[in-house]
Amino acid sequence: MIRRAGVALTLVALLAAAAAGLFRSAVPAGRADPVAAVAAGLRCPACQGESLVDSRSPIAVSMRQVIADQTAQGRSPDEIRRWFVARYGEEVLAQPPARGPGLLLWVVPALALLGAGAAAARTMRARRPARVSPADRPTRRRSRRPVWWLAAAGLVALVVAVAVAADRLAPPTVTPRTDPTAVALKLAYDLEGQQRYDAAAQMYREALRDRPDDGVRLRLAFALLRAADAAGAEQAAGQVLDHAPESPDGLLVLGLAQRITRPTVASATLRRFLAVAPAHPAAPEIRRLLGS
Amino acid sequence: MLGDLGTAGLVAGLLAAPLAALLWLRVALAGAPARPARLASVGALLAAVTACAVLEAALLGHDFSVRFVAENGGRHVPLYYAVTSLWSAMDGSLLLWLLVLAGYGALFARGRPDRLRACAMVVISVVTTFFFALSTFAANPFRAVHPVPPDGPGPNPLLQEHAAMGVHPPLLYAGYLGMVVPFALALAAPLAGPDGRDWLRLARPWALVAWTTLTAGIVLGAWWSYAVLGWGGYWAWDPVENASLLPWLTTTALLHTSLGGGRGRERWNSVLACAGFLLVLLGTFLTRSGAVASVHAFTESPLGPLLLGFVLLAVLATTVLTGPRQPPPARPGVPLWSRPTAVLVNTVLLVTVAAVVLIGTVLPLIAEPVTGTRASVGPGYYHRTAVPLAVVVLLLAGLPPALRVRDRAGVLRRLALPGAAALATVAAVGLLSRPGAAALTAFGAAAFVLTGLLTAPGVPTTAGLRRSRRRAATLGHAGLALLAVGVAASATYARVDERTLRVGETIRVGDVAARLESVQRAAPGGRMTVRARLVVSSGGHSHLAAPVLRYDPARDMAVTVPAIDAGTRRDVYLTLLAVAADGGSASVRLAVNPLVGLIWAGGAVGTAAGLLALSDTVRARRVRRPHPTGRRVPVAAGASP
Repeated sequence: MIRRAGVALTLVALLAAAAAGLFRSAVPAGRADPVAAVAAGLRCPACQGESLVDSRSPIAVSMRQVIADQTAQGRSPDEIRRWFVARYGEEVLAQPPARGPGLLLWVVPALALLGAGAAAARTMRARRPARVSPADRPTRRRSRRPVWWLAAAGLVALVVAVAVAADRLAPPTVTPRTDPTAVALKLAYDLEGQQRYDAAAQMYREALRDRPDDGVRLRLAFALLRAADAAGAEQAAGQVLDHAPESPDGLLVLGLAQRITRPTVASATLRRFLAVAPAHPAAPEIRRLLGS
Repeated sequence: MLGDLGTAGLVAGLLAAPLAALLWLRVALAGAPARPARLASVGALLAAVTACAVLEAALLGHDFSVRFVAENGGRHVPLYYAVTSLWSAMDGSLLLWLLVLAGYGALFARGRPDRLRACAMVVISVVTTFFFALSTFAANPFRAVHPVPPDGPGPNPLLQEHAAMGVHPPLLYAGYLGMVVPFALALAAPLAGPDGRDWLRLARPWALVAWTTLTAGIVLGAWWSYAVLGWGGYWAWDPVENASLLPWLTTTALLHTSLGGGRGRERWNSVLACAGFLLVLLGTFLTRSGAVASVHAFTESPLGPLLLGFVLLAVLATTVLTGPRQPPPARPGVPLWSRPTAVLVNTVLLVTVAAVVLIGTVLPLIAEPVTGTRASVGPGYYHRTAVPLAVVVLLLAGLPPALRVRDRAGVLRRLALPGAAALATVAAVGLLSRPGAAALTAFGAAAFVLTGLLTAPGVPTTAGLRRSRRRAATLGHAGLALLAVGVAASATYARVDERTLRVGETIRVGDVAARLESVQRAAPGGRMTVRARLVVSSGGHSHLAAPVLRYDPARDMAVTVPAIDAGTRRDVYLTLLAVAADGGSASVRLAVNPLVGLIWAGGAVGTAAGLLALSDTVRARRVRRPHPTGRRVPVAAGASP
């Protein structure tokens, strides 16, 4: 009697302690960081199958920064996720939403569990010899066969679905559909909007690697100028002018950068800018600068 | 010259394999002598050996007129990696695949040629024929190259960093293709008449061979990933990894349903035996056709439609052959508190985990044509689905010792101590640290399993273990528990930091500090190598670590080889991410991963358990069932490693 009570008491104490431990650790210390929690649900567009938490690519770093900023502004994880989906499309989600084909992620395992469970339950039941009830036999067999054929048809349908999908994919696409360059550019615009020019310049550089485009190079030059990297801005603008010597924006950034690096030649460059594009929105400001 | 010889080998195999199929069919239908059929199967093996040997000779002799060597060979490649380049790209690895497949065929052909074996050999020969045709027509590595290049790029640099490359793929293939024997036997059973009733007894040792090699292959692959890829992890739920996990799950289930002769679970056995090899084929299609983007999938190829057609054909053949069957014989029901119940629950759960992994892997393929976007299924999905199921499977692994008694009260009495240990573990770990619900339950379940195994009567002593009939199961379940502890601990308690250090600066994670001493650059043979030297100190000890960043211009690929200081308690894992142009600073990632060693230890214990089970099975049969003809039991001949 006393022994049994002791056992019961120990059991209750252990259960209580285990429940307390489980409850306390339900929120793991490592994932308490809300930024990491949101980042874990988003995919790095420039990598293959890595989430934003794990990826080390510059795009992922910037996207994590965006998450951190929005979290600091008091946005909820759902709002941040929606913001990313609205901007970059659903491909940015690490896991497809639970609708449409994404629903299969939950339906198929559930069906497998139910189907296998039902089969197991049937295996557990006793089976009487079939000849004991000859009247039963045909009905039982008839009832079993359609289930089997249905399951088999489902299996074949799955393979056919894969076949159709594979056919659509030919030639196989190795690059992810989300264009990393486009994401990098969007991120760069966003960062510029937040006046974080250093990070924006980094994104433009990233985009330039895949798409050496003068428009992007000009934005890079502007961003570098605002990030107080005049030498970098001068270099970028110089590259634009190598391709298009009459580019007004190129001359404008070059001139503004030279005002810091080489003041002696700056006014000549800016005058050339005014000569090429007298109606440029920045022209009055430049005239004022040169006049003063 | 070598190229022609290799193609000749493939063509010889393409002739020998269908010939073997026909001759075995004659054995099955007309009871013809098996000797010619056996010779044809051996002929297919010889053809595969020839093809592999010729390609190895071309790789080692730098014969760049052979396409595969021009694409994957190189004069700068060290001897060991020149040998392993055979399986470093798709066309060559298909030859290894053929070699293993034909090897299984020739081994299995050696036993008593009853109708069952003959029918199964027909199936194996047909599969072999298909892969010979695939290799000859769609992926012939021996095609000539004009003009002959002076040198090649060498194999993928990632595959030249770790000795595991030499054994991981062959083991994996041995695991995959070993499943062809249970598959063929399950298909052959309904066709073979009275012989067919014995198929499971014949199939089990082969399933054990396949399971053991696949387990070793998967764990070695994880180890390679940890030691070479430099991101600090070992498993990423990548399609290629999933493709290896799927057949492992169903074969694990098969090894359990086939216990005790598999009585009462006839249907489960045949479905699981077929599922294993069908999933191998499906995985091959997924990873070899470029259909699924993956870090280590081989790139695009024309094999997709062919492989897919074969998968479809195999599924259809399986459905038709094993589908409608005689209703099984009468039997009593299964008592609730018994081993068969646990086996069934375990099977249901493993099948569900397999369904989770399968749908997660193929969903991107299904979703893309429907929604137009390329969905991706990240680790988060598997953490929410497969991981909880796996914890329950782990709990079940603790039951066998308790289920040796038959009555409910006895079972509960035997479960009391392991249960208390599990609850105490959950309480202690959960109150001292906060590992999260998944890891915490995994710790509890592992404590449950290990306590249950250690307190089972007769087991703790070596003599008891030697006598135990279920010693392989005990060992295997212990390995699983160790692996679970390693996975859960390294996933929850790992600490990482990443910083750009100037020379002389220090990065700290917990009590581990690493000071950057120097950054050295070298460019031997055009491969840029940057090596950082850091002094790592923790708890009064210090050692030198040298993570490497290597750039291979021939393939435009950077490899970050981490410096790992592996300890029993924890690994210190240093990766060099980037270096400044002037060599004055470097970006370094420092991770402290606790108990990672348990993962490899668990895998090794699991592999050992597989070998033990195999030797026990073979020995038990030699002792118990001397064959009527006086020869050795056929299975023993084939299965001894």
